Amino acid sequence: MQNDQNIKRRGILKGLVTGAAAVVTAPIIYIAARFLGYVRIGGSGQTSATIAFSELTPESPSKLIQINDEPVIVVREKNNEIRAFTATCTHLGCTVSYKPEQPGFYCKCHQGKYDDNGINIPGTRPKSPLTELTVIDKGTELEIQMTPKAKS
Amino acid sequence: MDWKEYLIDSLHLRHTAEAVAAKTVPHHRSSIWYYFGGLALMFFTIQIVTGVMLLFYYEPTAELAHKSIERIMTQVPFGWLIRSVHSWSANALMAMIFIHMFSAFLMKSYRTPRYVMWLTGIILLLLMMGFGFTGYLLPWDQTAYFATKIGTEVPRALPWVGDLISSLMKGAKDVNGATLTRMFALHVGVLPVISILLVVVHVVLILLLGSGIPPGAKVTGSTKYFPDYLMKETMLWLVGFGLLIAIAVLYPWELGKAYDLANPTEPPAGVHPEWYFMFLFQTLKIIPEWVAIIGFGILLLFWTFVPFLDRKARRGEKSPIFTYIGIAAILYLCVMTTWAYVAVGDERTAASKEQLHQAPQGGQNAK
Repeated sequence: MQNDQNIKRRGILKGLVTGAAAVVTAPIIYIAARFLGYVRIGGSGQTSATIAFSELTPESPSKLIQINDEPVIVVREKNNEIRAFTATCTHLGCTVSYKPEQPGFYCKCHQGKYDDNGINIPGTRPKSPLTELTVIDKGTELEIQMTPKAKS
Repeated sequence: MDWKEYLIDSLHLRHTAEAVAAKTVPHHRSSIWYYFGGLALMFFTIQIVTGVMLLFYYEPTAELAHKSIERIMTQVPFGWLIRSVHSWSANALMAMIFIHMFSAFLMKSYRTPRYVMWLTGIILLLLMMGFGFTGYLLPWDQTAYFATKIGTEVPRALPWVGDLISSLMKGAKDVNGATLTRMFALHVGVLPVISILLVVVHVVLILLLGSGIPPGAKVTGSTKYFPDYLMKETMLWLVGFGLLIAIAVLYPWELGKAYDLANPTEPPAGVHPEWYFMFLFQTLKIIPEWVAIIGFGILLLFWTFVPFLDRKARRGEKSPIFTYIGIAAILYLCVMTTWAYVAVGDERTAASKEQLHQAPQGGQNAK
């Protein structure tokens, strides 16, 4: 009789402890998931960057800069026109480089090619173009904005 | 064959399962102290889990460390809670370890053949203090910076090897980014690997050697470890965990002002290490460093090898001298720690009074 009561009591106790442990575990899993699921978005919040015109020469006609944690390529074309493009390859995210002789942009990772307007060349891996950005000429300096260039 | 038996056999855990099934915990007037080892294990586990979580966002450079902790506390969901739990749990762990160690000492649980457990326990204590010391610098705030400066300067008082030890700790001429990298590597790489291994050894030894019974204690019965005692331990762990969360939520761990290496500042008033280093901190204030280092070195050796020195206990007899030594050690720690905190309080009061006096001269409003 006494033994039966002990077994019954132990069963209740076991249930209580297991229940309490489950009650504690649920919020732990929720908190851990929320904590680990945090992704920093928005980068540095920077919307533009400035470079000196003299940084682009006929010998070195392109420059990689970073705006809002994204690589941007600024190029000086043969007619001295300055243009800026997002430098993230649309294939798998490598950074593209400028090839004046191509002419256009080249991605070393998977030999992706874009023409000098940033349009992906059919037959190579990228399936979409680079985005051309707004460049404001401020005399000796150039302001590169992260907004797409308005179509003329 | 049910799945539990199948799993035990396929993982070759038959001996372990039998050892766990056969383990009993004796009842006597001091058996309540057995719980503290389990509690320390729980807090250690919390440290590993929360520590790994913090690693996802912490950036270990002098420029970014403080900012990344600020981000953890202000932007990452529940980041303030995870960091607060990590800091409070570290302190709870140290408290449990001290209680566990002194109760083992006073119960003479270090007697042969359990001396191996005592030795692994002492190494674990030192490793946990190492965790405390290396982790203290990681937030890169002003108090952490100066406390680490003091801590890494102390060994210099040692003859011949002092300078070498000090520069090895700093990784540079003075505390800077190189020190932070070093402390980080120790805190998240070296110390966890060694301590997890030793904790496993320590726990396996309990299974193999059983619980220590103080000489002359009257054993009134025993409880099967699995599942009865484990159930009681789980209840206590739940209470301990609940208290930890309550404290972490009600008193979130603070983050001091960042230390800027490019613009050196004076130490804030009352710079001090964590409470478990305070007895050392106070001792160093009143006796020369080299005496303190050598003295504590000898005491540590004595403490480590006490299983071999306490011959009476080895024979199963009472050894009151060692009981008195244990009590004296506890009293020393309590008195020196209290004294250290009183001194820190005085320094802070004096500093704020000085600020009040200086403020009107500087043309500011003293409030």
